[in-house]
Amino acid sequence: MNNELYEILRYGILGGSILLILIGLYAALTKRSLIKIIIGLSIVDGGIHLLLIGIGYVKNGTAPIFSPGFENSTANMVDPVPQALVLTAIVIGFAVTAVALSLVIRLYRHHNTLEIDEIKNLKW
Amino acid sequence: MVGSPVLLIAIPLLAAFLIPLIGMIWKESVRLIPGLVLAFMLVSSASMLLYVTNNSTIIETIAGWQAPWGINLVFSPLTGFLATLMIFLGFIVWLFSYRFKRNVDFEPAKKYFIFLMMLVAGAVGIVITGDIFNQFVFIEITSISAYALTAFYTGRNSAEASFKYLLMGSLSSSALLIAIAIIYSQLGTLNMADIADKMYLMPTGYKITALIFFFMGIGIEAEIFPLNGWAPDAYTEAPGPIGAAFAGIVVKAGVYAMIRLVFTLFDIPNSMQFLVVIGLVTLIVAETSAIKQDKLKRMLAYSSIGQMGLVFVAFGIGTAEGVFAALFLMLNHAIIKPLLFLSGSYLVFNSKEKKISEVNGLGKHMPITSLLFALGAFAIVGLPPFSGFWSKLSVLTAAANEGMILIIALVLIVSVVEIVYYFRVVNRIYFFEKSDNVVVQKPRINAMIAMLILGSIILVIGFDPDIVSIYLHKASHDLMNTREYIDNVLSIGQSLTK
Amino acid sequence: MKKLIVILLLAVTGYFMVISFMDLGKDGPVVKNGVKDFYLDKTVSELKVANTITSIVVNFRGFDTLGEVTVLFLAATALGGILYKKRHHVGERSVLFPSSTIVKAGSKLLFPAIILLGVYVFVHGHLSPGGGFQGGTIIATGFLLMLLAYDNFSVSHKVLSYIESFAGIFFVLFGLSGMFMGKTFLENFMPVGNLNDLFSGGIIPIIYILVGFKVAAELTGLIYTVLNEKE
Repeated sequence: MNNELYEILRYGILGGSILLILIGLYAALTKRSLIKIIIGLSIVDGGIHLLLIGIGYVKNGTAPIFSPGFENSTANMVDPVPQALVLTAIVIGFAVTAVALSLVIRLYRHHNTLEIDEIKNLKW
Repeated sequence: MVGSPVLLIAIPLLAAFLIPLIGMIWKESVRLIPGLVLAFMLVSSASMLLYVTNNSTIIETIAGWQAPWGINLVFSPLTGFLATLMIFLGFIVWLFSYRFKRNVDFEPAKKYFIFLMMLVAGAVGIVITGDIFNQFVFIEITSISAYALTAFYTGRNSAEASFKYLLMGSLSSSALLIAIAIIYSQLGTLNMADIADKMYLMPTGYKITALIFFFMGIGIEAEIFPLNGWAPDAYTEAPGPIGAAFAGIVVKAGVYAMIRLVFTLFDIPNSMQFLVVIGLVTLIVAETSAIKQDKLKRMLAYSSIGQMGLVFVAFGIGTAEGVFAALFLMLNHAIIKPLLFLSGSYLVFNSKEKKISEVNGLGKHMPITSLLFALGAFAIVGLPPFSGFWSKLSVLTAAANEGMILIIALVLIVSVVEIVYYFRVVNRIYFFEKSDNVVVQKPRINAMIAMLILGSIILVIGFDPDIVSIYLHKASHDLMNTREYIDNVLSIGQSLTK
Repeated sequence: MKKLIVILLLAVTGYFMVISFMDLGKDGPVVKNGVKDFYLDKTVSELKVANTITSIVVNFRGFDTLGEVTVLFLAATALGGILYKKRHHVGERSVLFPSSTIVKAGSKLLFPAIILLGVYVFVHGHLSPGGGFQGGTIIATGFLLMLLAYDNFSVSHKVLSYIESFAGIFFVLFGLSGMFMGKTFLENFMPVGNLNDLFSGGIIPIIYILVGFKVAAELTGLIYTVLNEKE
């Protein structure tokens, strides 16, 4: 892989992750439907996972796996730590999303609506 | 070796997985086992605290890999003190709610006790871990338990409060992950001591960015000003004892995480002033909001936020005395505020609105509960001879020694505000006539014992503050001495490297 | 109006993030001898695990994984608690839609293959890409497919909670038994074998298989709880 391609790829990953974070924040802040807010939060999570993966990338990197057929010097392997962190972060993000959706189900049961403006017994 | 810090995490986890199984056979066990686990944790943690106060810090490695590579747990005078305090409060909350869930179905009761236990375990994990990503995982354990506990009652607006909490919590955990990503990309390590050791290599711009994201991530739990919108609703809608658990456990863990960042990890010189500023803003905004509230638990929640602001101001003074004062404040707040929440939840037990006006004249009908509430109110505003007096005094002396006159003036003014709104409630309890439609609820015996324990601790510390000050001095010395922390954690890494 | 403010706010945040993040990790970390080289080295020389990510997730940072499994367990418990109703009609579905014969026959055909793939992925987690979380998720998608295709397909909540609990208990007990053998929590106390053998890596594959069972049971339970949510 030549230098320019590497730079483009790297900027693509980082820029894409920032774009995803911004899109998710926009959805979470402006949308009035509870489901859409949760979708926004999930997009933010996705952007951050991409950012973490992007940090660990090295030029001409290979997967950090020593299986037969993957024999490479360790110097060229991408950083395995962010990948392990992302694995943990994905599971945690999933758990939070599941709890959020169950709360939405209960809110819908009480109020028969998903619009945030109509669910305002408490101050927001 | 007197005990192992890892058991403080592993045993509750084991019990949490075990309870659904045993609960199928023996139903009472779902209430009993969490209490036994918390009692075990309390004994083990207290004995380790005695050990580390007189000897060296206990550092436990996990999976056999030493400090910078594996995850390690640090049980120092500071973390041990906070962990013991949290476990003690968890036990008190368990004792308080042991029987009052009789009228609740089996399934929700099972979940209530599992979440209570995991809330404590997660908070202890936040405090004793020595690795920033591990801390993130424990923060998530604590927050998910907190969301579930907030949404416990189906009748109230609890789902809405919990959803609000979850929205802010989810955004903040994203911020925390970004901060961890920045740190890892620059320093290539996740261990706190290692980060602190190498922090001078990091470019200043990244340092500040990372610190801002960390504050956004942890400020939710620590209830600093712009991020505490969830707190009043969650405290109001959650069951009474859970309000006590939030004030005593979750918030303390959040404060610890922020303090560890500012004092140990980051060497930004102006961050102390930053702490003072956010502390003062939080203090003033919260106390002026508290005076306007007409619901009892909401008022207590705002008062709790204000107290955290005061803690940050005391930490921001930056001297060993200031840290001592802040830790003393945290200790007092962790004892007094749960007492107020627990007794307050009985004062407004049968009311739907939980208004302050509904406590009128209860002093004659529930004398002990009212007396305990009054005791808590007197202690938290800082009247002598109760424990709150000594902590406020130590804040003022620490500020005076540094010549921070503005802080002294503001703290005194805010104390007056506190006196106004707490005495308003006490006045209503004793000198107003009880209206006929308020039904009095007698506290159960276990709840009474829990409240009496807290009340007697307030009196004991009030009359003899020296019995805790030795631990607090050790803890503040431990926090101030960054180099010692780094050496403690990393030196075993050099001597025992595989 | 509100949207405009939000867009402006996000533009400022975005600009700030672009200028501060674009150089992240460009030339690697400032500190060259980070933890990653140690992991890459030890995973081959001591743990004999081919997949470095597995060795990090299960061994070096195994405590995180224990916490992560707990988070999942808590989420499943929270879901049951939040959606709890007094009169719960077990076995009745809230989401009901007829599916065609093609879908029914196809999912019956695919279901064993999906389960097998999932088992393969988590059994070989220490040798090839994959592991307990990935394999467990694949198995849960198999159950999701069956639940969508058949109205009357049901899984036993009791069995799921047995699997969840036992997998979690054994995870902690494996950790503790390392401790009682004079080593530390979660430390490897079994012989490691040869690199790239199926039976290698000591307790790492065992723990990952337990994680696989737990994740599969929990995700299936989550899907089932929400599907059976009735007005």
